[in-house]
This record gives sequence, C-alpha cells and structure tokens, in this order.
Amino acid sequence: MTARKEDKLVSLPQAAALVRDGDTIAMQGMGTQMSPLALVRELIRAGKRDLQVAMVVGGIGLDWMIAAGCVRKVLAIIINLDEFGMANNFRRAAEAQKLEIEEYTEHQILTRLGAGALGLPFGVTRSGLGSDVLSLHPDTTKVIECPFTGKPVIACRALEPDVAILHAHRADRFGNVQFFPKPIWADVDVFPRAAKKVIVTVEEIVENEEIRRTPIHTGIPYFKVDALVHVPYGAHPCSLFPKYNFDRTVFQRYADESRTPEGTRAFLDEFVYGLKTHDQYLAKLGGAAALKSLESWD
Amino acid sequence: MGTAREYTIDELMVVTLAKAFTSDDIILNGTVSFIPVSAVLLARATHAPGLTWVAGAVGVDAQPGSVIGNTLDPTMWKGCVMYLPQYEDMWSYVHRGTLETFCIRGAQIDQYGNINNSIIGSDYHKPKVRLPGSAGMGDMGSLDKRVFIWSTTHNPRTFVKKVDFRACVGWLDGGDSRAKLGLRNGPQLVITDLCVMDFEPNSKRMRLVSVHRGITPKQVQEQTAFELVMPASVPETPAPDAEYLRLLREVVDPKAMRKIEFRGSATKV
Repeated sequence: MTARKEDKLVSLPQAAALVRDGDTIAMQGMGTQMSPLALVRELIRAGKRDLQVAMVVGGIGLDWMIAAGCVRKVLAIIINLDEFGMANNFRRAAEAQKLEIEEYTEHQILTRLGAGALGLPFGVTRSGLGSDVLSLHPDTTKVIECPFTGKPVIACRALEPDVAILHAHRADRFGNVQFFPKPIWADVDVFPRAAKKVIVTVEEIVENEEIRRTPIHTGIPYFKVDALVHVPYGAHPCSLFPKYNFDRTVFQRYADESRTPEGTRAFLDEFVYGLKTHDQYLAKLGGAAALKSLESWD
Repeated sequence: MGTAREYTIDELMVVTLAKAFTSDDIILNGTVSFIPVSAVLLARATHAPGLTWVAGAVGVDAQPGSVIGNTLDPTMWKGCVMYLPQYEDMWSYVHRGTLETFCIRGAQIDQYGNINNSIIGSDYHKPKVRLPGSAGMGDMGSLDKRVFIWSTTHNPRTFVKKVDFRACVGWLDGGDSRAKLGLRNGPQLVITDLCVMDFEPNSKRMRLVSVHRGITPKQVQEQTAFELVMPASVPETPAPDAEYLRLLREVVDPKAMRKIEFRGSATKV
C-alpha cells in the first residue's frame, strides 16, 4: 500500500476495517506495557477471525483476542501477564488444542521480521542452537553451515506481516509518529518496517510544525503509516511509559476473573462488548481524575 | 561482620545469589525475577559496587534504589544512563557476549541444567499443561551466557531427569556436548529453597554444594528426580551476614516483593 503525505486520521472502526480475517498481524506489546489495546477491543467487537498474531511478548490483549475467538495462530516467545501470572485463555486454548502455537526464541522471531524489513529471504542467528524450539517450525528456522567458517547458524525465514498495529505517544495527521523516549522495544522498531500495512493509535495529535521542531523523536515516518487513530489512554490497562502506568486494579480483576471461561466472558462483556466507543470506555474508568491517578511510577 | 540467626529462606536465597556476583559481572534480567534483581542490588550495595546491571534489559546501570515493581517494568529503569534499544543494541550485546550473565528459573530443570517453561507432556502440541513460554531463556541458553538458575520449588516435579521440552540449553547431554556445538559458558550455580548446587566439571551433572539450615542431603536427594553428584561431606549454606540482611530488608526490597516467587512453593516464607 502506498502511504502518501496526506491526512491518515481515521476512526477506530475504520482502522479495524483495514484488518482482514486471516491476516497475519504484528501486534506491539509486553505483559503489562505499551500495546494498542483500544484497537484490540475494536477488532474484537468487529468479530475478526482466523488471525495469525505475531508478537514478541503476548499479554492481556492477546488473551482477550484468544478468548473472543479471533485468533487461529500465535507466533511469540512467551504469553503472560507479568506478575499477574498466566494468560488463562491462552493456556485453556492451548490445552484444548484449539490454538496453533509457533513458539520462537526472541532473536529468532526478530530475525524473521528483520529479514522481512530488509526484503531479504532470511536472516541468521545463533539463538536457540541445540534447543527443542527449533523443532517446532522446520519451515521457518533451519540450521545451516556458515559458508565462510563452517559453523552452524540458524537461518530464519523472512516474515512480512500483513499489518502492524501499534500505540505511540503522538503523531501529526500525516502519520509522522513520535515516541518519548525513542523506540526502546524491538516491536516498535521492526514491526512497522516489516509489515505491509501499518496502523498506529496515538495519545495526541500535533501539528506538522511541531514534528519538524522535534524530529529526533520521530520513530516512524509518514510514508510507512496507512492509518492513524487518536485514542488517549489507548494502551489502557497497559502502561505507556512515561505517561501512565498500567492499571493494577483492572489487571488483577482480569487475572482473577479469567480463571474461568464464564468469568472471562463477563469481563469482556463489561469492558469490550458493552462499550461501543473509546469515549464510553474512558468514562467507565472514571474519567479524567481516575486516569490521572495512573500517572505515578512510585 | 556478624552472621544472622534469624532469617528466612527467601532472604538466604537472595544473599547466597548476591555473593556469587562480582564487580566484573554484566547482568541483565527478565520478567518476574525478584530474587535475582534483589541479589543484583544487594551485591552492588556491598561487595560488588562495580557490577553492571541492565534493568529489564533496557535501563543501563539503573539505580531504582529498591525493588519497586515487576522486574521488567519501567519503574526499575530509574536513574539509568541509557534506555537500551532492544532490536539493535541489546541484541548486539547479548549475541556477541558483552552482556554475559543471566538468571533463569523454570517449571522443569534437568540434571544438566536444561530448562523448560513451555509445556508439560510428551507432545508439545498436545500439552498436559501449557506454560507461558520460553521467552529469554530460549535465547540465553544458546548465546554463551553464564547462567544462574534459581527455583523456589525444589521437588521431583521441577527437578526432573529429562525436561519434557528443552527450551533453554544448559549442558545439553552432559560431558562436552555443549562445547561440541560451539557454545561457550553455561549453567554455573543452582540456588533453591532447599540447597545450593553446581555442576561437576567433567560429567556436567548437577552436584550438591550445601544444604540450607535444617535440611539434610538425603532430603534434597528425595526431592530430586535424578541422582545428584553427592560429595562425601556437604556443609550448611552459610547464614547471611547481618549487614546484608539489614540492607535487603530495609533498602533493597523493603516491600518483600521476592516473596511473590514463593507462590506454589512448599517452603513457607
């Protein structure tokens, strides 16, 4: 898709419509950090099916999507909720053999995406040599001999996701996306470069002049961005460092209630299906004052 | 410096791990690693002031003061000199070996220090129990790390003869099998709620080093599903120094976050 220097600002439903059933989506996230969860809620409400979700670390958003029946296959290194424990719907789906899991080491999946970003057929790593992880995906990782030294290395087949979805601090309407601080996490770095389409949700929309005053913060240029959505607190209940921390109350509720499918369903009814817009979601959380309380890191 | 009479197992584990670190170590940590991160902060506050720590693999030489959140969380990056970009910088330093020390725990650990945190069962695709996944251990086992293993559940389910899925490469099948694959370093020490173990240099089998107060070598063997290398005499794990304990309790981990790791452990702390 060509991404011109034009207004990319769309609504959440419009952005969700760019994701097709069966797509491979590269989704930013960690156990409790920096994930485009307002968009994830929209994808769930839109009833997406058969998605193949590639992540480094899967967390609460992926667990919701699995519970909601959106996901056919997961490509990741770990799926958990940090100190809140297991991602229960991931566990149940895996144990019921209702979910395909392509488990990688971190550097294997990043090498696959890095090759995709460069337009090369494969990249190489030594990560996972001797492990059983290699046996899980003979079609995408293979031990080969280095043509120069004869030593074993792992060839990792290029991965070009259909669409990358991310949440960031701010952007202008053209999709010049800025991060404060600059991209730290590998997914923010390589996902947009590897993907065919890129959707970014942001906390704030600023003027193009403001971006030009602060280009050092720009992590993704407009020509790589296809759609942009303005959603303050769009990573909630995950954190967006340094603006706001993760929401301990919501995480603990989900960790407790997701122990059963019924509890999960009630949670999703309350926080996803029952709220049609992001404004309704923010209002449910208690409005500006309640959200302000998340801006503490002590 | 005197030794303390009153201490708990979580405190003993942190102090014992801290004592294994030196000022030459460059250490990074992963998620839910309260015992290693407490040990890093404690070592740095005592005998190893030069120790380099990359908090959550991001915050270079971070100085959060105490354990204030999950160990992979930005709260722990406080006072760092750099946020290490993961894709290029962190993986360069890890892959080439500059960042050399890592601590790992897992649901299963075998006699050669291979580790599994992916699945329980004989078929990966039909797991009896699905676990979170290999995460960083899958990388670090093959990337020449000096690995320190910790476990709060020393029992025959955790310490198994052979892991169901070898996510993290330890000493592989023992002997020189790891070296033959061209992998440097490997597992160094295993600190559990019952004892301290290392690896016998030739066979690379796990060997008992010391037992915690009130525990016998026989009890450790009974809680281990493979035969440990058993020295003729096994000392008690040295009690923590009083000053280390004070720093751990009052400065390093005053909220006792490390106790989170004892969920599901038979050892009460």
